[in-house]
Amino acid sequence: MSVEAPVRPDAAPAPRRVRRSSDQAREFDRPRFLVGFTGLFYLFLFLPIAIVVLFSFNAERSLQVFGGFSLRWYDAFLSSESYRSSLTASIEIALVTMVVATVLGTTLAFGLVRSRGRTGGAFNVLMLVPLVTPEIVAGVSALLLFTQMGLRLSLETIMLAHITFSISYVTVVVRARLAALDPEIEAAAMDLGATRMEVMRLVILPALWPAILASGLLVFALSFDDFVLSFFTTGESPQPLPVRIYSAIRFGVTPTINAIGTLMLAISVIAIGLALALPRLFGRRESGLGVLLGEEGA
Amino acid sequence: MGASRFAGRFLIPGGVWLLLFFAVPLGIVLAISFGTTDDLGGAIYGWYPSNYSRVFDPVFLPVLARSVGYALATVALCLLIGYPVAYYIARFGGRRKHALIALVIVPSFVNYLVRTYAWVAILSDEGLANGIPHDVGLSDGGIRFLNTPWAVIGGLVYGYVAFMVLPVYGALDRMDPALIEAGKDLYGSRWQTFRHVMWPTTFQGVLAGCVLVFLPAVGDFVSAQLLGGPDTFMVGNLIQQQFFGAENWPFGAALTTVMMLFLMVWMVFYLRSAAKAAREGAAAAV
Repeated sequence: MSVEAPVRPDAAPAPRRVRRSSDQAREFDRPRFLVGFTGLFYLFLFLPIAIVVLFSFNAERSLQVFGGFSLRWYDAFLSSESYRSSLTASIEIALVTMVVATVLGTTLAFGLVRSRGRTGGAFNVLMLVPLVTPEIVAGVSALLLFTQMGLRLSLETIMLAHITFSISYVTVVVRARLAALDPEIEAAAMDLGATRMEVMRLVILPALWPAILASGLLVFALSFDDFVLSFFTTGESPQPLPVRIYSAIRFGVTPTINAIGTLMLAISVIAIGLALALPRLFGRRESGLGVLLGEEGA
Repeated sequence: MGASRFAGRFLIPGGVWLLLFFAVPLGIVLAISFGTTDDLGGAIYGWYPSNYSRVFDPVFLPVLARSVGYALATVALCLLIGYPVAYYIARFGGRRKHALIALVIVPSFVNYLVRTYAWVAILSDEGLANGIPHDVGLSDGGIRFLNTPWAVIGGLVYGYVAFMVLPVYGALDRMDPALIEAGKDLYGSRWQTFRHVMWPTTFQGVLAGCVLVFLPAVGDFVSAQLLGGPDTFMVGNLIQQQFFGAENWPFGAALTTVMMLFLMVWMVFYLRSAAKAAREGAAAAV
């Protein structure tokens, strides 16, 4: 999308330039309208979430009046055996999805970046289309596949569907990192007598770890939150949490939903927080957000 | 080329998986869309193109038109909201840029159902949105928000606006701020600078955002299910009904196929422009 990226001989001067230009901008025009508009936008984004979190601690049943602090909805959630088994099911699905999709997505990324020829191009399209396929199409096609194969719908069918639509996220994130690696380092390692597998293990994988882990955690969060795919591929019991939430909402207003929503938010935020923090733990200066958004490394 | 063939082998596990679990199922959807149902409601293969004429039946056509209309309204609103926000973050975000962008993404990690459900609570007859105007004395508390088209579109905007902000922010962030200064130096008004400098420079990002919002919005059924009613149902609700309730899988598959073909045009367009941008980006980086 960029028309021309400025050539950066080294990373150091860049931040200073950016800061100076935004200082200039601040002097000239920082339209009040924009400040207010952006503020309202963030209010719009976070108001419903604030309400979910606040009312998850409500002592009363109401979703309109806050009647004091209480943990009764968390208690209602955690003391229900069927909700607990749904929570375990969701975590299990997300973990299996994370592991399998990370392995498949990383190998696919390596194949796409380093192989030449037409197969690569075709696989590239096959990898990108799931990213822009509406979830309902994904759900319908997964449901029809499983019923035609004669599979009984269960946690395993949900896992198969989730893995299928998670591979591409891993591939996109890992590929960006892989493309930024200098192939000459690999050539040098091979000149020094390393085999291809040794280059893989000792040169490429260490450089890719932050991207692999970050995309894996992203996939965990996506799978854990997914509703549409799970809805189409779930069996009778145990059902993953979002499917349970959907049936609970259809039966009417219950504040337990707020407690579940808050807990799920906490789990996702931990996963994403780890994904953002990991590159720093690896001693790199770049931000985790940059890794996930596929920005070039410094 | 040894290295290329070595790398080529790595394509196999992921590639075969996607063929089996993504490409083949789309073929099955197509095959079943020409099928029919047996006495028990199970899907059987066959040649019944009538499923497709039913899709364009006057009973269902308004639902298709409504889905596209709602999705277009969603795209327009996301652009109107997302562009200024992305501009603000890119130009005035300073050191907090990354934090501000992360904040745009955070709500995506609250379950979509739970977020939409919170809007139900806010917009309901006794909810916040009615309570505040009532307390201030602006209304008698009788504004009906739920079950209106605007509630459904609002839910879609809330769900997908991040997909607009991110690519537009990316485009604005890559734009050299000197271009805007140059526009001003040449005595361009704010509008002229926007029209002749910013908009063309960021147009690819805007297009990407529009497609990324449009695709999921057309297929959404949660927003209409929770915030709307039968009068605001979208094609996603119709498809869902065919699989859970009406049990007419072939018709549901035909609806899915029509939707996928319609959206395919936009997908191809998006993927091509993304690939082009990646090539140019790679060329510029070298």
